[in-house]
Amino acid sequence: MSQPPAESQVAVKINEDYCSRCSICQSLCPFEAISKDAESGQIILEIEKCQVCGICYSACPAKAIDIIYYDCGSLLKYLEKAKPKYKSDTLVIMCKGSAPDFAGIKQIFGVSEFIPLSVPCVGRISEELLLQAMATGIDKIFILACDEDYCRFDRGSPLTGRRVLALNRLLEQLGYGREAVTLKRHSLKVKVDKDLCIACGNCAFYCPYGAPKLESVGGINFDLDACRGCGLCVAVCPAFALEMDNWERERLSTTISQLLAEMKAPKVLIFRCQWAVFPPLNGESNPHVRAIDLPCSARVDAFHILEALQNGADGVLIAACPEDDCRQEGASGRAEHFMGMLKERLNQIGLGDCLHFCHVARRDPEQLDKELEQFNQSLKALATKRGSQ
Amino acid sequence: MIVTALKPLDEILDSISPYRKVLIAGCDGCTQPPRGLREAETLKKLLELAGKRWGKDFQFKVLSLVKQCDSFLTASELKPHLEGVEAVLSLACGIGPQTIAELFPELPVLPAQNSHFLGQENREGGALEDRCSACGNCILAQTGGICPLTRCAKGLLNGACGGAREGKCEMDPERDCAWELIYQRLERLGKLDLIREFRPPRNYQAKAWRLTT
Repeated sequence: MSQPPAESQVAVKINEDYCSRCSICQSLCPFEAISKDAESGQIILEIEKCQVCGICYSACPAKAIDIIYYDCGSLLKYLEKAKPKYKSDTLVIMCKGSAPDFAGIKQIFGVSEFIPLSVPCVGRISEELLLQAMATGIDKIFILACDEDYCRFDRGSPLTGRRVLALNRLLEQLGYGREAVTLKRHSLKVKVDKDLCIACGNCAFYCPYGAPKLESVGGINFDLDACRGCGLCVAVCPAFALEMDNWERERLSTTISQLLAEMKAPKVLIFRCQWAVFPPLNGESNPHVRAIDLPCSARVDAFHILEALQNGADGVLIAACPEDDCRQEGASGRAEHFMGMLKERLNQIGLGDCLHFCHVARRDPEQLDKELEQFNQSLKALATKRGSQ
Repeated sequence: MIVTALKPLDEILDSISPYRKVLIAGCDGCTQPPRGLREAETLKKLLELAGKRWGKDFQFKVLSLVKQCDSFLTASELKPHLEGVEAVLSLACGIGPQTIAELFPELPVLPAQNSHFLGQENREGGALEDRCSACGNCILAQTGGICPLTRCAKGLLNGACGGAREGKCEMDPERDCAWELIYQRLERLGKLDLIREFRPPRNYQAKAWRLTT
């Protein structure tokens, strides 16, 4: 918002001065965004294919890749500040795609106090970061990765598994015990309340993964192995019979009212896909804006948007991934459709301008700020127009 | 599935404006998507927001009934919630408001939906399309499983009309010509002779007004 424009507006860059052209990044990139020029041997990153998972960044032996979000330096800075705040020497690094709430993490790892570090894909965590964290006095590291086939970036979770295995072998030889770093896997999935289900099949109609099966006897049955946790079914269930781990309706309602209560007018509440925007670790500082991360923009619920408007939000902004970037089989396209329908209804009661749906690509770190700025301008114009009426 | 669409909100607001305490009744029955509790809660919020803007202090109650077309269920489920209710806003298809009107002769009931058709659900693109007109005299056996009464814009039982262009209807270039589809289908089935058969005009007497089960 008040930040000066960065020199370059891409999230990942290859620094030609350091690059040894070893091609490790090329072989690991899940999206074939990195290639080697046949003639010059130069490593080339096609940013429009890049999904900003950070796997190349964590794997580059020459440190030739620059990444804007959650680079090693900023993660260590975060740790420095977080250690006294959480009064703990235990670090829990988790992918935000699989991270439950505090209570859930305590249960998974059996720890009561820890420093939480939530990152978009643990694939960006290098051995160097883990070792440096240990050097600063962290005595136990837990990593929570998504189940391997649930990983939003295909290779992030399996790669981290292998990395931790190798690192633990090394550390064992150095006398750190058998498991200096503990890795567990977890996935957030849909929950069905059979008592509320009306067996309409709406979830089966919309699920991009074919996880819900509508059966003539027994109604809806979810194949939880197929569920990829986008939350689309939850947002369209006519009977409120579905909930998404960590993004339950009541929990989101509580967060909405808490955030709106601490904000200053004019208030803009952002619902953002957690894969579209990678927020800075130091939190939000603008008192007029607060954001709620969702598992995918498809989890955004007309119910919650209306609740926010009723509770004093002047505007609601939905930040979704462009459909091509959607890590949930195009579920963001569905979100756009539903938000279009809601906007049409809001238009009918003169509130359509209070809702703004936009696409934000994580490879362009300034896009959300630009959209927000534009939305603020239009809200301001709207307020002036209303005031003069 | 019965396919409905929400009425324009100003029409709904207009219809409920003489009342203050309004019960919004969803229906878990056969509309697609079902206009159940979620739809009722969402409509409540929209109407409250609208009411606030126009200085109307509506008091909404919200519930969802299993099947508004079942008069026994609707009577027993609705009755305990009607105290102080001045009007019911029904989210069901056209049958729901009529059931409620019959059950509660003194209670105004207002439709929130426009009922459109009996539709097919198409997951690709999430579309719902008109497939059956409930004419009471099914001729799908003669037309390759494609209903011309419903899908031909002119409802022709002996087509095609000659107005189609590249398989699309002259009424709407997005819409398939039903008779072209029927021709292709019969050709594949090796039953093109069926298209030469003359089908008499629709028999309106075939549609029953009451059936017992």
